[in-house]
Amino acid sequence: METVIHSHEPGLTRRDFLIKSTLAGAGLVLGAPSILKAVGGAEAPSNMINVGFIGCGKQHEVVFNAMVNIPGLRYTAVCDIMKDRVGAAYGRIRSRFGYDPKRYIDAADMLEKEKDLHAVIVTTPDFWHAPHTVMSLQAGKHVYCEKMMSNSIEGARSMVKAMDETGKLCQIGHQRRSNPRYIYTLKELIQRHKICGRIINANAHWNRAVSSSRDITVPAKILPDKGTLLKYGFGREGQNLTDEELQRRFLNWRLYKDLSGGPISDLGAHQIDIFNWFFGGPPKSVIASGGCDYFKDREHFDNVMCIFDYDTPEGGARAFYQVLTTTSAGGGYAESFMGTDGTIEISERSAYTKIYRESGSAPSWEPLVQQGWLKKAAAAGPADSSDAIASYASAAPEAFALPGDLNEPPHQPHLANFFAAIRGEAKLNCDAREALESEAPIYWVNPAAERNEIIKLTEEHLHT
Amino acid sequence: MRAILSGVEKYAGTSTSSSPVSIDGAVNSYGLTDATSVKVYTLANYHGVPKALYDKFLAEPLIPDWGLKIYDLILGPAFIALGIALLIGFATRFTLFAMGLLYTSLTVGLILINESSGVAWLAIHIALIALMLFQVKHNKIELTGKWKL
Repeated sequence: METVIHSHEPGLTRRDFLIKSTLAGAGLVLGAPSILKAVGGAEAPSNMINVGFIGCGKQHEVVFNAMVNIPGLRYTAVCDIMKDRVGAAYGRIRSRFGYDPKRYIDAADMLEKEKDLHAVIVTTPDFWHAPHTVMSLQAGKHVYCEKMMSNSIEGARSMVKAMDETGKLCQIGHQRRSNPRYIYTLKELIQRHKICGRIINANAHWNRAVSSSRDITVPAKILPDKGTLLKYGFGREGQNLTDEELQRRFLNWRLYKDLSGGPISDLGAHQIDIFNWFFGGPPKSVIASGGCDYFKDREHFDNVMCIFDYDTPEGGARAFYQVLTTTSAGGGYAESFMGTDGTIEISERSAYTKIYRESGSAPSWEPLVQQGWLKKAAAAGPADSSDAIASYASAAPEAFALPGDLNEPPHQPHLANFFAAIRGEAKLNCDAREALESEAPIYWVNPAAERNEIIKLTEEHLHT
Repeated sequence: MRAILSGVEKYAGTSTSSSPVSIDGAVNSYGLTDATSVKVYTLANYHGVPKALYDKFLAEPLIPDWGLKIYDLILGPAFIALGIALLIGFATRFTLFAMGLLYTSLTVGLILINESSGVAWLAIHIALIALMLFQVKHNKIELTGKWKL
């Protein structure tokens, strides 16, 4: 009502009213985000865990985005040898939480000055994982370090040793170990209800397209200078590297043997870990083949296929793994456990997850569906279609799905487990020792392919 | 319409609701959930400058933090206000000029962070606005006829 009265005041035309009310409305809209931001609550300081980041590249971003919804964390410091990345990490924290983390170029400097840090997240290149983890543990910090533990098995063993000696927590980023879909599948479907029957084969793959496997490039002006790259181990004086070669090694460290383990370790580590976790121990041998078939100037094989032999309590089993960097077709990334009664094909992506019951031989899963342990899914293609030879083809398996999903970033439960363990509320789902027990066989895949021979895995190969 | 929708989309987000799954008559202890997601428009979703770009701009020495904050706040409402003004013919010349400045400012930001494809895309917008400014004298539906802006 008042608005009507004001609109008839002398000197206020209809045009003025239109302009003023538009401006007032715009002002309300402009102010709204700030008003809403101010409503957010804060955690009590005594419950806060002060977190520092060593390494602020792409993986840092993935991990940070999975942490932002975990309460009780304060991001105190960020560190990377590339100033641009430090600035971006600083910006991410500042824009989301409104406070300023300290910025560092050198990890040792950060650990020396940041006495109040409780935990460090290590997301540096693989060859830096062990040095950064060990120095952080020795500085009295708990560590969450991305997989692969190190580019060498000796580096990984040094991390276990430092964890044992310091008594600090060291979680390795095999995030599937905390994923409720994986835990449920192992504990309920495989171990309790034994829906697969006897698992005799496993099969996993990570198929990545050429377009996703090309060299990473950024403008040279934002990269660290030659002195810095040499200081931080991306090249050695004797190698006589040009600036361009050194910059390529910095941005594409995954391609070099002295900096990483290559695709079998970058991509395969997550999934071969699932073989060892689900089979309950490491394999007894590995045979492999690989080659630089497409990316001919790369040191590591661009495509690798390998077979692990397992002794399980039920008998022998084999697991085939392939990592491709030249083709994405075939379902992205998933792990299949294939048994006499059924197959579970599981992936971090629920779209790639399928469960099949063997028609004819497996007991009915109808009671499991009725109780909610499984969901019925769209049926697989019929075996008796016109392109099938009836006497050769098996009947089409029935398709099922998990009863629920993980509706948060895949790394979040694993990070939440790490912080809960720091508070004494949980046990780590994948500490450095458990991770190395599972990762150790992976270090022998490239040698098996290079030597073209079966490697029998003994205590000498696998010890932690 | 392009400007209005660009502004409105800055309030867009996804509302996901998840509920724990019951198995065998009890809520499962693993954390498995059922989720449904819908696109929603709320003031709380507002991000003037997309998150990924905002972080890059924060690290850009030529863009002061306070300026970025103000720009982030006004960008969405400015798009909507200018779009509506243009659509209803309110101060058309001024509106077009302001809209040209807005798109130019976006272009400058993208140049600073080396987003070349975005720069080319915005150049098309600016060219269209310039063309409209040339033709504005033929606009028959201007509301501010007497004191032409």
